[in-house]
Formats: sequence, structure tokens, C-alpha cells
Amino acid sequence: MSEISTVDPSAAVMDLKRRDARDKLTGRTRYTMDRAGAGMLHAAVLRSPLAAGRIRRLDTSRAAALTGVHAIVTADDAPGLVGIGIADHPLFARDVVRYIGEPLAAVAAERPEDAAAALAAIEIEIEPLPAVITMADALAEGAQLVHPGWQDYEVLFEGGRREGNVAWEATAIRGDVDAAFARPDAVIVENTFRVGRQNHLAFEPRAVVAHYEDGRFHIETSTQVPWTVRNATARVLGVPASEVRVTVPPVGGGFGLKFDMAIEPFAALLARASGRTVRLVNSREEEMLTCLCRENAEIRIRSAVTRAGEILGREAVVLMDCGAYGGEQIFLTTMTAHTLGGNYRVGASRLVSRAIYTHTAPNGAFRACNGVYNTFALERHTDEIAQAIGMDPLAFRYRNVLGDGDLGATGQRYEGEVLRPMLERMDTLRGIPTAATRMADGRLYGRATTVGTWFVFTGPSAATVNMNADGSATLVTSGVEIGSGSMMTGLPQIVAATLGIRPEDVVVRQADTDAAGFDVGVGGGRTTVSLGAASLAAAGEVRGKLLRVAADMLDADPEHLTIREGRIEVAGSNGPGLSIAEVASRAQTLLGPIAGTGGFTSKGTPAMSGCAAGHFIDALDIPVFAVHDCEVAVDPDTGHVEMLAYRVVQDVGRALNPRAILGQIQGGVVQGMGYALQEEVTIGSEGNILQTGFETYRVPLAPDVVPVEVSLYEGAPSLGPLGIKGAGEVPILNVGASVACAVANAIGRPVHELPLTPPHVAALMLGRRSAPVLPHIAGRWTDNLVKKA
Amino acid sequence: MTLRLTINGRESLAPDDPMTPLVDLLRERFHLTGAKPVCREGFCGACLVMIDGEPTLSCLTPGGLAEGRDIRTIEGLSPAGRLNPVQNALEAHDAVQCGMCFPGMVMTLTHALRRNAAPSREELRHALTGNTCRCTGYERILDAALSAAGALQGGEP
Ligand code: FES
Ligand code: FES
Repeated sequence: MSEISTVDPSAAVMDLKRRDARDKLTGRTRYTMDRAGAGMLHAAVLRSPLAAGRIRRLDTSRAAALTGVHAIVTADDAPGLVGIGIADHPLFARDVVRYIGEPLAAVAAERPEDAAAALAAIEIEIEPLPAVITMADALAEGAQLVHPGWQDYEVLFEGGRREGNVAWEATAIRGDVDAAFARPDAVIVENTFRVGRQNHLAFEPRAVVAHYEDGRFHIETSTQVPWTVRNATARVLGVPASEVRVTVPPVGGGFGLKFDMAIEPFAALLARASGRTVRLVNSREEEMLTCLCRENAEIRIRSAVTRAGEILGREAVVLMDCGAYGGEQIFLTTMTAHTLGGNYRVGASRLVSRAIYTHTAPNGAFRACNGVYNTFALERHTDEIAQAIGMDPLAFRYRNVLGDGDLGATGQRYEGEVLRPMLERMDTLRGIPTAATRMADGRLYGRATTVGTWFVFTGPSAATVNMNADGSATLVTSGVEIGSGSMMTGLPQIVAATLGIRPEDVVVRQADTDAAGFDVGVGGGRTTVSLGAASLAAAGEVRGKLLRVAADMLDADPEHLTIREGRIEVAGSNGPGLSIAEVASRAQTLLGPIAGTGGFTSKGTPAMSGCAAGHFIDALDIPVFAVHDCEVAVDPDTGHVEMLAYRVVQDVGRALNPRAILGQIQGGVVQGMGYALQEEVTIGSEGNILQTGFETYRVPLAPDVVPVEVSLYEGAPSLGPLGIKGAGEVPILNVGASVACAVANAIGRPVHELPLTPPHVAALMLGRRSAPVLPHIAGRWTDNLVKKA
Repeated sequence: MTLRLTINGRESLAPDDPMTPLVDLLRERFHLTGAKPVCREGFCGACLVMIDGEPTLSCLTPGGLAEGRDIRTIEGLSPAGRLNPVQNALEAHDAVQCGMCFPGMVMTLTHALRRNAAPSREELRHALTGNTCRCTGYERILDAALSAAGALQGGEP
């Protein structure tokens, strides 16, 4: 399509105001939680009070007879199982409960208080069973199985090894690791790391309004993945997917929380049962209890390096707590190879990543997912290696970061020299580091530079562009605006640049699975890449049609026409021309309205055969790199860490809307600061999450933060349209790592766990806390694997 | 029991229990959904409305206590279709992301700038202690507020 290749990418670059800001600033935006309809019923969900138990009795008859109650649904109404990789997850607990907060029944009633009364009137009897709360419990000899029937589940994606409480295991093995460790010149460095869960604390809780009309479900929901909701809802309800329509109002924060089906099927079932519109909105307590958190994890990593700084070999075991059901963690086992196995050139490596079932709330996806803690572990480990061989940590990184042609852990060959020039860019941004260790006020000063590897989650997207006779265009996709501005700003920029019109003349259709084709969803930095590529292709088709009609009208060769600023003209000064509206309306009369469609999917970048097993993605289509630098001050008496300065060099391919990217970086870094310093989810011995709201789960406030200094690194190779890469997900990737390395440097002691709350840092300084002991990770790497049958 | 409330300058009747949180009356009874009940604990500030000109947490205010007072929500803060200087600056600085915290942010900043025409960045930072934002990382909100300083004198909206 020559029309596309002639699009000038720089025409798409601009700092554009967001079209949704005004309504958001005046309170007029209607998020899903704000929607109400005439005759609407209020729903509520009964949840398990126990982490593990057998359901002896569940009687809804008294509740159903209460005034105002219209419908009650239970496991009998939702026969299907869903999951990622493995179909292990029912909508309602059936026979057994597996975590505190697991749904048992749902009701719809006239008023919220009627629904609450009905929940209280449901009679339940659950016989407690022994629970495995920690991954150590789950992996102990003879441990209670969370899913005794694990072998009977339908496998949706082949290749992962499984056994008992090991929900999924992915390995990446390249080269002869034993030989590397056996070399006489090898210095061996080994570390263990542990991190807790992180709650997204999206301001809009998960919320849904469901209708049942003409034999079909219509679900309005706060989600990042309308097509997943459509297909998974159909699967649990046991109805054809074509009977479910999903539309998405503006979403009040996602960060990955809304990257899976959530409470939609409850409302859908209740709408069908009652014949009324049903609204269900999670309370903050429910969000805290059942948030699909970034998972807690435990890591052992071991490397063989030479005194000159060459990394000969590396092995690691990563345990990821998936909670009671596999969910996103099954997929995310893949990302260990590309994150913990990223950043550096390594001679030989073997990595295993295991998703472990426990009797706790399921975890999920959260901005850069396990990349955040794998990067923390790898970068802290790297600093310990540098120390062990007496090399400057920055010099070690310059020597070893991935460069053009280097191999990743799955044997993928990286293209282009990116990280090294980014380190140089950081040197310029930062200047010569100060050597200070103690500040004038007596606090301890620390600084660190870290590197990171992440990716753009590609996958299928579809777009349609309708050219209107008035010169405007309508973009129809299943993309959702979750707050990043990609849908409201990025995509219209791409379409407008292709069609030579103003971005404000591109109407963006709200996501609707009845109107637009399949899409993987908004997340993983994929919006401007995958949806952008589909939109570019769709707009390119429209452009071609417009040019052909204009060529006829102007009696010129289409190749000699320019299309910009709302006009199509014969190239050259004072060439004759027409407005795009004139051409579009002529085309409409002559040929019918002009439209274009576009699709995009993953390219399937090759890995080395035989390296990766159980991986959903063997190689990264679009790697994204980051270099972060952080300065902190630590109070030697209290252990309080203050952020003094933070700098980011981010690989963005091409910055379409630099101002929007800078906003994403500031926000992402601050979320990472919360993870590094204060956000803590703790799980009690009964399996209960102890933080119930904003008072106990503390996120960064305005007085805690600093303005992030940013340099956008452009020009690295990218398969993305116009050379772009996703920019919204990666800013959080290195923050835990950078803060931990800086704090370790400040206090002169290693850091192996996050978050670095004041008591934690104080204990480190007093020598009262050492690296986590992880006896459930075997010393010999191969002993950690599921034995092949 | 009928509550008599003055919301955005208009007298309104609500046949509700006086203990109903104001935020629920505004949202469910009057369809003014700008104020958001995000935490219901007084920590996030997304539910702030002006009561007699003071930013007030509507999640912790029983409707009965708001009777006879001037309640102003984000929808009625500035005349229809217009933005006040704080809102204007937030739009111009591209500060908004998901937007959920902004109804409350606008209340706090409007009030802070009415009180002090030339606040320092640090003073504004501390003024925002009761307004959590999960998306933006705050700095751009501060940039915007500083640029609007001085524009809110004379009790104008
Ligand atoms: S909802 Fe009122 S302060 Fe959070
Ligand atoms: S913009 Fe999302 S919470 Fe502030």
C-alpha cells in the first residue's frame, strides 16, 4: 500500500489537549459506577468467610422470600470454567471454597439495603479444611492441594508443566550452565529476594450495569478487555459468545486490574433472572479483598562471573503466588525469561518460573507485572556482583548490557544498540554523580542507576475508519480509554495524520463488541501499537480511495497529489485542489460512502528452538528498554527514605505525543515509589488480607513525590506503526530496583525485600534483618522442576 | 423524613434518612455523580464538595447536617459550560488522566488559591495531603495550580 508508506510520521507528532479533560474537570463524565437507569436493581455478592472449606449447605430460600428481592443466583446458574492456559476458575465456589472473599451467591434487589439483607438471610454451612496460605506451605511435602482435581481441567494452551499446587511452570534454558559454573575463574554470587503484593487501588472500583434484551446480554462495564469479558462471560454462563455484547464507558483507572473478566457475569445472570437492569459496584473493602494484585514472589538467583566482569552463566528460580486460581500468573511465568533474563548479555542461562496455588485471593496483572520485581532482583543482584568482583556498578552495566545481536534467555537476537546509548544519555541528564554519603543534616545519601527490559504486548486488533461527507472521520475499535489518553489522543493523531485532517475531526467510537472487531484489550503498552497499526491501515485504505477519487476530479495522477490540512492538492505551488469534504461527498455519491478496515497481530519474532518451554511468547516482538537513576536520603534514626531526585531515560521508538508520555512517566514512577517504599499487602494466618481501605493501604501523596526528570530516547528499532512503542506501562518497571539499589548504597547494607518501609530499613541498619531464607527453593536448580512423567 | 437541601443554588427535597451520607444523596437522589465515593473513609478527597465555601468530605457528612447550608458540587462550581481558573489551568497543563480524583482536586485547589493568592509549590503540595491521585504523580497538578495562582482573588468562582 503505497498510500501508507507516504504518510509522513512527523505529521502525527503533536502535543494535543485531551478531549475528555473538560468533562472530567466538571464532573460530567459518567463512569460505569455513575450509571443508573429507570427500574434498575442493585446487586450484591455473598463471599466466603473461610480460606478453605467444604460447602455443606447453601440455602437461599429464605433470602429469596424477602421483600424487594428479585433474583438470587448461585453456582447452579454458571456451569462453565474459565482461565488463562488452564480452565480452573468457576464463577461461584462449587463444593469447596478456596479463598476468603470467593463468591457463593449473588442477589438483585430494589435497594442496596434490601440486597444486603438478602445476603444476610442466605444460610451457609462450610466445613473448614486445612489451608495453604504461603507458597512454602503449598510446596511442602504432603501439602493440602488447592485443586485436588487439577489433572481434570481443560488445558487451553499446551506446554506448561503442572503438578499439584504448581499451577504452571515455564523454563528457558540456553547453553551449558553447569560448565559455566564449573569454570575455575568463575566467581559465584547468589541471592534470595522476596516481595509482597501490590494493590492497584484504581479509583473506580470494578463496576458493571447489565441488561438482558432480545435474548442477549448487554454489559456496560469498567474494563480494559471488552472482548475477554464477552467471551469469558459466555463461557461461564454456558451461552454462545454472540449472545453477549460489551460496551465500555470511560474507565476510572485500570493499571491491569481490569485486564480480566471480573464481576460482569453476576450482573448478567441477575439481569436475565429478574428481567431488569442490574447494577453491581464493588465496595472498597471488596476491592481490597479480591483485588487481582501484583503477586507476591520469591526468587533465588545465582550467577557465575569472571573478575573482568563477564557473565558466564546464570540460573534462577522464581515463585509467583497465583492465589486460588491460575489467572494471569500462568501467562506471566513467560515474562521471567524476558525480564530477569533480559538487560544483560549472559553466556548460558536457565530460568524457571512457577505459578503456585495458595488458598488466598487470586492475583492478576499490574502495570509491568512481574517485570517490576524481576528487575528489582536482577539489578540488586547485579550490584552485588559488581561489589564481589570490585567493579563499579555503572561500569559493569556499560560492559554487559544487551547490544546489537546479543542473545536473550530464549535465544532471541536483540536488534540495535539501545541500552548503551541510553546509559550515556543518563550520564548527560544526571551529570557526574556526587560521592557524598552523609548529608549536612546527618542523613545518609545514596544513588543508583539501573536498567530494565520490557516489551509491548502485541496481539490482534481491528479498526474501521468511516470517512464522512462533511470531512470528519469516525474511528471504530474495541479500544478503551482508561486514563492514559491513548484512545482519546494517540489514535486520532494517527488517523488524522494519515487523512490530512485535524485530530479533533476524528470521532472516536466508544468500545462496543457489536460494532468493532476483536481486540486483545488495552494494556501492556499495546494501544498505540496494535490498535494504532490497525487504525493506520484502516485510514490508509481510506486515504487511497480519497486520492483516487480526487485524481479523477482533478484529472491528475494520484501519485502527484498531496493530502494535508483538510485538502487534496496537486503537488507543487499553486496546484489546483479540493477540500477533503468535497472529495468525500463526491465519492459518496459516485461509489457510496468511503470506509477502510485494518487489522494487526503479533509478528512472531523467532527464538532459538528448544530453549523455551511453557511460554506464551517465545520472543519479544517489540522490546522496550529503560534506564533509571534515583537519589535518596535515609534517616539513620527512623529508617525513613526520602526521594531526592529521580531521572528516567525511556526508549519510546517515536514520541507521538511527548506531553502525554511525560505524564505517564511521572504517574508510573510514583506508583513504583509506592511499591518500593510503602505499599504493603499483608496476609494473616487465616488467609485474610489485612488492609481494608485507604487508611491501612497507603499510596504516595503529593508531599511524598518529586518531579521526574525525563529524556525520551527515540530511534530504536520498532515494528510499531510509524516506529512507535508503548510508553505507558514501562515507567514503573525500574522504580523498585532503583530505590532499593540507592537505599542499599546509602545504608551500606544489601536490600533483598520490598517495600522499604521505615521499620524495614531501620531493621536493616541495625543488622536485625537479613536476606530471606527460602528452603522451599531447592539448592540444585534442576530439583525445582516438575518431574516429567 | 424529608431533607431540604440547597444544592448549587437550588432548593431540593430528598425523602431520605438524615443519616444518609451526603455523597449518596447527591449521586443517587440528584444524579450529581461528580463527587466520587472512592474510599468512604475520609482519606482520598474524591468526594469533596463545598459547604458554605469550605471543602467538605461528603462521604463523612450526614445529609441532615447539610440542611440549610450552601452545598456546591463540582457540577455547579462554575457557570454552565465555563471552567474556573483552576479547571482551565488543569486542562491547559494536560494534568488529567483517569479523572476520578479531579472533582475533589478542583475543590481543594480552588479553596487554597482563594485563601492565598501567591502560594509556594510546597504550600500547595501540603494543601493536597487529603487528595490522593493514583494516576498522575501530582507534579503536573501543582504546575497547573501555580499557574492559576492570583486568578481567584475577590471571591470570584
Ligand atoms: S470518599 Fe470521601 S474521602 Fe474518600
Ligand atoms: S487521575 Fe486518576 S486518580 Fe487522579
